[in-house]
Amino acid sequence: MSRKLTVILLAMLVLVGAMSLKTAAVTHGDGAVIMANGGGPVPPGPWKNGGGPVPPGPWKNGGGPVPPGPWK
Amino acid sequence: MPGPFEYILWFLCTPFEVAALVCALRKKALKRYFFLNLYIAASLIASLGRLQILHSYGLRSNEYAYFYFYSDALLTICLYFALISLYSYVFTEMKAEKYVSLAATVLLVGTAIFSYAVVQQSSTKLVTHFVIELSQNLYFVGLVLTYILWASILKLRETRTRLIQLVLSLGVYFSLFAATYALGNLYPSMGSVLQVLPPLIACFLPIAWGYAFWHLAEEARIVPARLAVVPR
Repeated sequence: MSRKLTVILLAMLVLVGAMSLKTAAVTHGDGAVIMANGGGPVPPGPWKNGGGPVPPGPWKNGGGPVPPGPWK
Repeated sequence: MPGPFEYILWFLCTPFEVAALVCALRKKALKRYFFLNLYIAASLIASLGRLQILHSYGLRSNEYAYFYFYSDALLTICLYFALISLYSYVFTEMKAEKYVSLAATVLLVGTAIFSYAVVQQSSTKLVTHFVIELSQNLYFVGLVLTYILWASILKLRETRTRLIQLVLSLGVYFSLFAATYALGNLYPSMGSVLQVLPPLIACFLPIAWGYAFWHLAEEARIVPARLAVVPR
């Protein structure tokens, strides 16, 4: 197997690992966003409409309160 | 609207970001660590932009929500490229830059395809859903990549002190956020306490990188045995 194919395979493995980690994290959590504004209830994400999997992650870049979703 | 305490927490990080950029500029590390400095500068600009939009339109406005999530996605992509640039530095002596570029491209495209596959059933605001999903997925990819880079540094017995400091601080940064998230899920009653932590953790990266730029010379080397003993 060529080196390029090996690199692509490794990249795919990393992707699978990262997505598995994410799935494990969100299924064992309640989907709460730690940076929720004022400690109020977290606004529903756009993926709540029928099988969407993922709540927003806790590690947002930069500052600023988390706004309600633009999907209201 | 956030209160004074939230504003203080929000902009606690800003002076450290400015300081990190000044340190990089003074120590001539601005171009060498371009993507790291780009991320810090983008984070600074995003914070100021969010403040402006928040005051103009309000917290519950679509304008603020769009600006927040789109700027967050751009920052995540910047952080991803910063991480990939660290990979390039670590593997530069192995002449593996083109493989690092290939892997980074494959990972980015793969993450984008995966994100699209997750949100494609959304009938409305598909692009917005995609941007948020991509941002989150890239964060997890970055988390895994950072730990792999940690392991690579140990295995390759990297000696460049500044590079080690930059990578380790990025790993600690990711780990602190992950720990906060885990604590929040384990102890939901501590939500109000844990809410204070992310802005404080966000200060860690510019402080650590600023320290690395200012105090650690590019030529400085560390004895590998002090980092870890790795059998060959």
